[in-house]
Amino acid sequence: MTTRSGFSAQTLSVLAALCAQPSQWQHGYALARQTGLKSGTLYPILIRLADRGLVEACWQDEPQPGRPRRHLYRLTAAGLASASGALADAAGPAAEPAAVQAGIRRARAGARTAPAARGAVAGVVP
Amino acid sequence: MNKLNRMAAAARHGAAWLLPAWRRDWAEAVWAEAHEVPPGLARLAWRAGGAWMLAREGLLPRRIARAAVFAAAAAAAALAAWPGSSASLATTADRVYVITMVLLLAGLPLLARPFLGPAGDSRAARLLRAGTCAALLALIPAEAAVQQFAQTPPRGGADLRVYRLVASPAAPKPWDGAAAALLFAALYVAPILWMTSRRSRVAPATLAAGTGAGVALGLVMYMVAPLGLSKAATNPWLPGSDVDPLVVLAWLLLLCGPVAAAVVAGRRCRAPGSSPPPAGARIRQMMAAGLLTSLAGALFVTVLGTGTTAVMLKAAWLRNWLYRGQHLWYGIQNLSSDLRTLPAIAYGHELTGSADAQVFLGICIAFPVIGFGLTALVAMSRTGDAAVGRGGPGRGGGGPPGPGDPPDGGQPTVTDDDAGLAAGLPGLHQPGPGIEQNQLGATLADAALQPAGTR
Repeated sequence: MTTRSGFSAQTLSVLAALCAQPSQWQHGYALARQTGLKSGTLYPILIRLADRGLVEACWQDEPQPGRPRRHLYRLTAAGLASASGALADAAGPAAEPAAVQAGIRRARAGARTAPAARGAVAGVVP
Repeated sequence: MNKLNRMAAAARHGAAWLLPAWRRDWAEAVWAEAHEVPPGLARLAWRAGGAWMLAREGLLPRRIARAAVFAAAAAAAALAAWPGSSASLATTADRVYVITMVLLLAGLPLLARPFLGPAGDSRAARLLRAGTCAALLALIPAEAAVQQFAQTPPRGGADLRVYRLVASPAAPKPWDGAAAALLFAALYVAPILWMTSRRSRVAPATLAAGTGAGVALGLVMYMVAPLGLSKAATNPWLPGSDVDPLVVLAWLLLLCGPVAAAVVAGRRCRAPGSSPPPAGARIRQMMAAGLLTSLAGALFVTVLGTGTTAVMLKAAWLRNWLYRGQHLWYGIQNLSSDLRTLPAIAYGHELTGSADAQVFLGICIAFPVIGFGLTALVAMSRTGDAAVGRGGPGRGGGGPPGPGDPPDGGQPTVTDDDAGLAAGLPGLHQPGPGIEQNQLGATLADAALQPAGTR
């Protein structure tokens, strides 16, 4: 199901999670926890957003010992503008799908309740 | 659990190659992230999701989708061609043809890939490959229907007497099917695979010029002879004579179409900058365009003509439309007066059409020979002109330049195309088997023009 903005409910939840900390790079697992999406759903969404220039991705510079490098994501300027508009639309009338609202609430709640994850992410971002 | 995780990791390593190069980072990303997921079911689920992402991004949209479409089309063609009596030699030959052709269509691109490289990036190359495959698959059920009809004698009655008068006495052999499939593979699949491969450096403009001229040739040929090159089925839309404009146009396109396409391709062949293109590059483009014209034309008219014959065998309205006017009497002259009944005449027309449709096989052999020979002559002459300074870079758009020198053996040789010319349209306006031209009375004509669904 897509919303008026053209994004699906799952995509909106990813955008909401990225919008919560637009300047910080985030990991896939952290995004999955915030949005409640499985990896098989989350990554195709990230790929599409990156293809459209709404999300930028990079590899972690200094991986933790014994761990592979992780991929990091954040919104581009265009992505931030697009996400803000889409989320504003979605947060408006009650006509929007409940899944969108739930996704946004979940993303925002995750952003509030997962400081450890944010800190970990922020710590590795150059 | 660790074993399952290792299996998932192995599956991911095996499947990562399915992704395009610019997507492989994402496969690495999802797998690297799995180390952050708590061990156990959660990590396994994460990796399973990653494998699903690989399948969606790499497997399904590209290779699986193409393979699924091909498999569905091949299965449909084979199912349509498969029915028939197992005791019939024609059925056996058809089944061998079906199996061989499907295997060749599926296997040749894979076998050729190490030598020719992947398919070209251009839309023309992809469309040409897909169109050739579709045409050859469409030919399978049509050819099977026509062959089985022509080679299966009726059980008795008037139809059997008509069959003995009209049908060819030669019975097919099981290996005829394999021979026909190999012929198509050698004459059509292999050259078109080469032309549409990345390594051949045949320009998209060359492919477009050759295909366009070929389709025009095939269309005109089909309008002249929708049921094969026989006078019985010649030109049902026009009065039908040896010199009617459509026949003249067909000859012109057959002889001049490959040359025109080759000239266009040669003129559009340009090297980077202002330097003239190497002779080998120009010859390659010209030869490809000329050969493609005759290949596309022959395949186009063969598929359309054989398909029309196959439909005619099932649809009385089409038969009555194709055999009307002066064509009404072809194929039935040898019938005795007691066989000049509506069902026997209709069966005679169907049998004659089925026999005449076999001429398309001759077209499929003769046209490429003609196209190749004529194009080679033109390419050699124009290259000779360029060598003495009269040829320069063309004015048109830009095809890729191609390598500097043609490979060994790549220089086209001038072939003796007299045999091809003689074989190209020899049957045009010639009677089919057992046909003599005369006219029956108006009563018979009136009777046969009526719907014949009661045989």
